[in-house]
Amino acid sequence: MDHKDNTEELAVHIESVSFSYRSDDGSGTEMLKPALDDATIRIPEGSYVAILGPNGSGKSTLAKIIDLLEIPDKGSVTVLGINSKDEERFWDIRENCSYVFQNPDNQIVGTIVEEDVAFGPENIGVPNPELRERVDQALKYVGLTDYAKREAARLSGGQKQKLAIAGALAMKPRLLILDESTAMLDPISRDEFLGIVEKMHEERGITVVTITHDMTEASRCEYAYIIEKGKVTKSGRPSELFADTERIIRSGLELPVYASLTSEILRFQRMKATAEDLKDPSAACKRAAEAAAGNISFSAAELKESKQRTKVSDKIILSVKDLSYSYENSGNEKTIENINIDVRAGEILALTGHSGCGKTTLISHLNGLIRPQNGTVEVYADNNETLTTSRPKDIKRIRQKVGVVFQYPEYQLFAETVYQDIEYGLKQMGIEEGKRKEMILSAARSVGLDEALLDSSPFELSGGQKRRVAMAGVLVMKPEILVLDEPASGLDPRGRREMFALIEKLREKGTTIILVSHNMDEAACYADRICYMKAGRLLGIDTPETVFGNDRKTDIPMPLLHEFSMKVRNEICERLGATIDFGYVRRNAREEAKNILREVMRYKEDHHA
Amino acid sequence: MLKEMTLGKYCDTRSPLHRTDPRIKIVMYIIYLVALFMVKSPPALIIAAFVTLIQLVVAKIPLKVIRSTLMPIIPLAGFIFILNIFSIRDGEVLYTWHRIIITSEGIQKAILMAVRIILLILSTSVLLTLTTTPLKTSDALESLFAPLKVFKVPVHEMAMMMSIALRFIPTLSEETDKIMKAQVSRGADYDTGTVINRIKGYITVLIPLFVSSFKHAEELAVAMDARCYRGGTGRTKLNPLKIRKADIVAAVLLLLGAAAILVCEFISR
Repeated sequence: MDHKDNTEELAVHIESVSFSYRSDDGSGTEMLKPALDDATIRIPEGSYVAILGPNGSGKSTLAKIIDLLEIPDKGSVTVLGINSKDEERFWDIRENCSYVFQNPDNQIVGTIVEEDVAFGPENIGVPNPELRERVDQALKYVGLTDYAKREAARLSGGQKQKLAIAGALAMKPRLLILDESTAMLDPISRDEFLGIVEKMHEERGITVVTITHDMTEASRCEYAYIIEKGKVTKSGRPSELFADTERIIRSGLELPVYASLTSEILRFQRMKATAEDLKDPSAACKRAAEAAAGNISFSAAELKESKQRTKVSDKIILSVKDLSYSYENSGNEKTIENINIDVRAGEILALTGHSGCGKTTLISHLNGLIRPQNGTVEVYADNNETLTTSRPKDIKRIRQKVGVVFQYPEYQLFAETVYQDIEYGLKQMGIEEGKRKEMILSAARSVGLDEALLDSSPFELSGGQKRRVAMAGVLVMKPEILVLDEPASGLDPRGRREMFALIEKLREKGTTIILVSHNMDEAACYADRICYMKAGRLLGIDTPETVFGNDRKTDIPMPLLHEFSMKVRNEICERLGATIDFGYVRRNAREEAKNILREVMRYKEDHHA
Repeated sequence: MLKEMTLGKYCDTRSPLHRTDPRIKIVMYIIYLVALFMVKSPPALIIAAFVTLIQLVVAKIPLKVIRSTLMPIIPLAGFIFILNIFSIRDGEVLYTWHRIIITSEGIQKAILMAVRIILLILSTSVLLTLTTTPLKTSDALESLFAPLKVFKVPVHEMAMMMSIALRFIPTLSEETDKIMKAQVSRGADYDTGTVINRIKGYITVLIPLFVSSFKHAEELAVAMDARCYRGGTGRTKLNPLKIRKADIVAAVLLLLGAAAILVCEFISR
């Protein structure tokens, strides 16, 4: 399908649109913050299009303009054949466009699930037998029929986004806009959500526009636009965009895992991945295997493994023993059961598992927010003293030693200035005023906060900066163990890279890190050891090499890199008609590409000589 | 299904009283309120207690729930009892000690007042909070006050505000919990210290909560806009309130109950 073809019916046609946000700088003068600059996009009816860009690039503004939630300063907007300036048909556009936002909590209006689904159709005056039918069918479509009479606010995050989709579906829209709708979901819920959306697209021909910075999601689309600083800088089929790797990285994005490993292998073989190569994972797998098995164009020196994981000492700094806990209203069902973990000094320990597996309950035990019902949590101090969260008098010292940064920590900021917010913990700990300043400055420095920002209000900062302030507020107490609950959630690829660089830097300085994450790829990449939890139980705790190795337990989900690499390895073996032992999968795409090529080279040397 | 409802202690037993149209229950509640305030004679009080008891049985409210409903007002009822017993000096004197005089009239009045306040609370609970979800109450209020629209009273908007407020209570309470956990991790202490320090401490919860509430409000407004919300005109309803035969029967029975109380009151005067 050629997306530039003008004879085709366009669902969305945005021509040279510019838009600025107006804000007050406090002194009464109006400030203009440009968000879009001469942007043009054309989306044919019935297509599935992604709008990609880093946070703050203006991609959400563009989505809002499509749904007429913002009116552009300049340029023309035509949606479903209706010009936005046509005031009489204004509501026709909205009635036919449905919009799913990022935060599920901010789009649910109805108290009861079915009332919320009905909210949209009620607004446009759908009469009753039809209204009831629409609601019931929409709920059935997304699989929430059993929840129809439940309280909407009590659903899980994944269910809330399905509810939002049901609310959209009940409007019988022609165009569906997803504004980072999956950003707050775990991988399982995300797949389910996208599955429903894609089914709607295929079965009902609904045009889908998805705003995202998740490239795996983008690879599922038919066409994509990249937005940078308010400008459309590139467009094409996703595979065409992936082929221009440098541009993707430069615009703050990243390649999906399969494209990344394929491009790395091809690069070492002095080749460039074309759009055709990266069309889909199976094409990429063939191409990668073909390149890896082909004539060797790289030098052995290039394949030297860059730094190995640093050896972690065996000294145990915190230990969780036989921990079980059940909440008051959950009956006999245990939220966590028989958890045993020894945390070693100086390691990055990843705590993985899907939403609702008990991760949050477990980390709430680590600094005594929850006292154990069964079992103990022990923290070992320098002088061979054992502190335990079961003893109230130890709690204060434990909280100083074990810092916890919860998910979306930016929501806990409260003070007038960044400086005062970071200072809060020190004040509570009773550190004298004279010593505080140096500690605050060093905490700010360690999270990469500019000193000039210390006097500004935390609420004026960008999302990424706010998160750093919140982290500094915990780091300032110089904890020996830092627990980070999904530290990268909501960040774009560049933000995630920076966050993990920061975490590695903290570890180098000697802080032990417990990283809570549902992203297996990130856990495999950065952690020294991984523990995996399911339904309140610990299924295993070991190095990524063992956890995802040959003897792995089947219920632990594999990282995408491992899954794809296994396919490439099998394909290479088939091509060469040999069995090659490639060893464990390395921590990132580049190291894994080197590993594969190294083993292929060794095999060839052994068999040709 | 609504077991988890946080507000108003809704008690879902699916009784006929639960299914009765909420508008009827609100009107009846007002009638019972007036009737109970008019009760001054013991026989009428007994009838009133009897009628309330029947309502509780019909609504299948478990004893445990009744007890927890009554617990908070026992001190108030006790206070009213003592106040009356000591302040009323009419009737036959039964006991004197220094300046304290207890009379037969005093005891009778005191029992009457205390029982009456208990019945008032029970009747409110059984007719409204225990048997009607907050959402239905808000729907019923919108419908009952609909005539005020003529005088440009924004009845629909007020009902919408009420239902959104209800919708956000669990969300905000969850958020409060999260923020408190985060601040406690940074050394906050909300349980010990002087009252003033504790109140001061809550600033670290309230400010983030306000900031996030504003964000919720702002984004919810955009989401409502995107879902074509444009006020009450032309809106339909998924579950419109409809008076059925059973509702009329319930209304008549409830009216009979109220009438019995009043008739008895007027006869025994």
